[in-house]
Amino acid sequence: MLLSYLKLAWKVLLRRKFFTFISLFGISFTLMVLLVIAAISDHLQGAHAPESRIKRMAFITFLNQGYADGNQINTPPSPYFLDKYVRPMKSPEKIAFYSLFRASPSYIGNKKVELDLKFTDNVFWEVFDFRFLDGKPYNANDLRAANRVVVISETTAREYFGTTRGVVGRTLEVDQRRFRVLGVVSDVSILRFNSYAEVWAPMTTTKADLRGPALEGEYFAALLAPEGTDLETIDAEYQQVLKRVVNPNPDVKTLTAHADGLLATLTRQILGQGESESPKITAFYFIAFGLALLFMALPALNLVNINLSRIMDRSSEIGVRKAFGATSNTLVGQFLIENIFLTLLGGLLGLALAYGVLELINDAGLIPYARLTLNVRVFGWALLAAVFFGVLSGVYPAFKMSRVAPVEALKASAN
Amino acid sequence: MIRHLLILIWNRKRSNMLLAVEILLCFFVLFAVSSLFLFNVYHYRQPLGFDYQNVWEINVDPDADTTDFHQQLQLAVQRLKATKGVVGVSKTGRNTPFSFSSRIGIYFYKGKRMPKNANHDADDELREVLKLNVVEGRWFDKRDAASTRVPIVINTAFKNAAFPSEKAVGQLFTDEKGEKEWQVVGVVDYRAKDDFAETIPVSFRRRVLEYDTAQKSTYGAAVFLVRVQPGSGALLEQQLIKEITTVAKGWSVTVNSLEQNRALSLKIAVTPLIVLGLVCGFLILSVALGLFGVLWLSISKRRGEIGIRRAMGATAGAIGSQMVGEIVVVTTLGVLPGLLVAAQFPLVGALDVPAGVYLMAMGLAAALIYGLTVLCALYPSRLAAGIHPAVALREE
Repeated sequence: MLLSYLKLAWKVLLRRKFFTFISLFGISFTLMVLLVIAAISDHLQGAHAPESRIKRMAFITFLNQGYADGNQINTPPSPYFLDKYVRPMKSPEKIAFYSLFRASPSYIGNKKVELDLKFTDNVFWEVFDFRFLDGKPYNANDLRAANRVVVISETTAREYFGTTRGVVGRTLEVDQRRFRVLGVVSDVSILRFNSYAEVWAPMTTTKADLRGPALEGEYFAALLAPEGTDLETIDAEYQQVLKRVVNPNPDVKTLTAHADGLLATLTRQILGQGESESPKITAFYFIAFGLALLFMALPALNLVNINLSRIMDRSSEIGVRKAFGATSNTLVGQFLIENIFLTLLGGLLGLALAYGVLELINDAGLIPYARLTLNVRVFGWALLAAVFFGVLSGVYPAFKMSRVAPVEALKASAN
Repeated sequence: MIRHLLILIWNRKRSNMLLAVEILLCFFVLFAVSSLFLFNVYHYRQPLGFDYQNVWEINVDPDADTTDFHQQLQLAVQRLKATKGVVGVSKTGRNTPFSFSSRIGIYFYKGKRMPKNANHDADDELREVLKLNVVEGRWFDKRDAASTRVPIVINTAFKNAAFPSEKAVGQLFTDEKGEKEWQVVGVVDYRAKDDFAETIPVSFRRRVLEYDTAQKSTYGAAVFLVRVQPGSGALLEQQLIKEITTVAKGWSVTVNSLEQNRALSLKIAVTPLIVLGLVCGFLILSVALGLFGVLWLSISKRRGEIGIRRAMGATAGAIGSQMVGEIVVVTTLGVLPGLLVAAQFPLVGALDVPAGVYLMAMGLAAALIYGLTVLCALYPSRLAAGIHPAVALREE
């Protein structure tokens, strides 16, 4: 049954090649745009090295402090706060601290290289699974002794030393001081701001004050949940911890913060202005879905118009099937399946186009160090989008087709 | 003629309505994109009101080393000024030209709240460094050191919003309770800190290093704007960093030229526009192809009708213009409600651009739609005109 529908659909597609081309052009282009967006969002929050265990990671990124006069400040926490209140937390398996990255100029002769520098502790290398091309990360001893050692990215090694081989042990000037290179890792995309940097150094080597008793600072924490533990347990414990915080600034009356998964840290900041109780993930999905729907509306309407104009092509077939007793529902089903088949075909084309566009974006270097790729997740989204698009654009024409009166249809075909 | 066309369209109202809705959606897309495009072109063509060439931005962060921060900053400024190749040095805040940070100033004038304005820290040298053009009054100078009220300079947009018919110089702004006072000493024609930014009210507040030292105010980072001799490169950059770090070892220092910052901010502003333009272009292309197909099919369905008209003596030209006329009417049915909705934007004044830009965007979108539909109708209508009455009627 299904097979014969598909055969029929294929024959119809071949019948008028120009219309098939128009339909496929619209579908594949629309799906390509959606796929590129899906690939970027997957790149932004999917599980990729060095954040392969992203599902088990909660992040502490922003503290919202409310003053008595109603003003609020929203900043990353200080190392003092993290060390005093977050470090003793029980539910996470591992806790890593790291600073925001900051550009630091380095000079090689008359050439200037801007290096993004991030200060971290040694656990950072256990929570994030960086791929080491050479050497190793710094350890607890390096951190305690504030040894001037760094891990650098592949591109940094190439830019600074001209090669990625054998740079371990050589020194590099950054932050106006000289550091010894301990290891070289693969590049990390700038969009993964938690792990991204070009040079990573032990946090004890920073010039900034790590012990100042203020809550606001420029450090984040990544908490790795044990296998099988919900991130919500970590947030629950964090909420308990926050209640015990003694704020060194007496003017501050409230303190709100969350330990969230990666997507939730983003949605809470963007949609909830950093202070909302719920992570706003549902709201985010609604908005994303709504925008996608809006974007599909025009091409879908276009496809509806084309499909409607082509009803007459099929009138004799419809007449015969109806005369032999096919119900309207069967016909609606058949045309819907045909339309979905067409959009799936367009989806396949769209996937190929999206691959080309992503390669173009990668080659142009629009986003530093980003390697946008298609993967199974994105392919799944493509399938879903294509089927949805097929139903969206197929329901009304299929309904119209099924309503053609058999007598009219047969008479029309007699001409 | 039009009455006749309307009757024809009414007879096929369902499919024509779908077409009109599609054209309406198309119009919205084109209106949104063309207004975005025209706004940006409009802003880009206005002069910025300052000269960014050969100006470097030096970010200084004291990190933990905050003892005697201001004395050290003063020393650093002296050293920078003495360096060969440096023309002028000015200290300002984080919201330098082309940066992504901004600060909002809030003033009251005779108890009335003044428009939101971008607020910049400035000293006596900033005018020289950015080559600001004073159009009324004067820029800050030594005389202001003794003044009891903080002197400010505003831009023309602020002057026009606050004192449309009076002179701005000498006016007093207060805070909400009327306790603090600021006095306007001059007006500059500085537009905004970005090429694509809207023209907004701007105020410069005099905040020189000596003043801060006396007030014992503490605030973290400082930014210097330094005008250098044309053609200076990384060597001078490195030297400037050395000059600053000899004053204070613990500070982190970064140097960027405003030209670099401008290139980055342009890239960030233009890339989404290009992507949007491409996506919209392809969307419209696929719609145009679809429209073409629909018209083509509908003409092959109306062969009988056309055959009779030809047999009754209508010329081929009359048939062709009827077909084009029909699609023009359908387009109008789609565009009219679109124009009605679009006209609300300049009426409400949603964005701070002259209504003319909106009208231009509406005109552009409508012209594009009409051009597109007529273009799509041309070939099918020629096919229709070419139908031979005898052949068409025999089929019937």
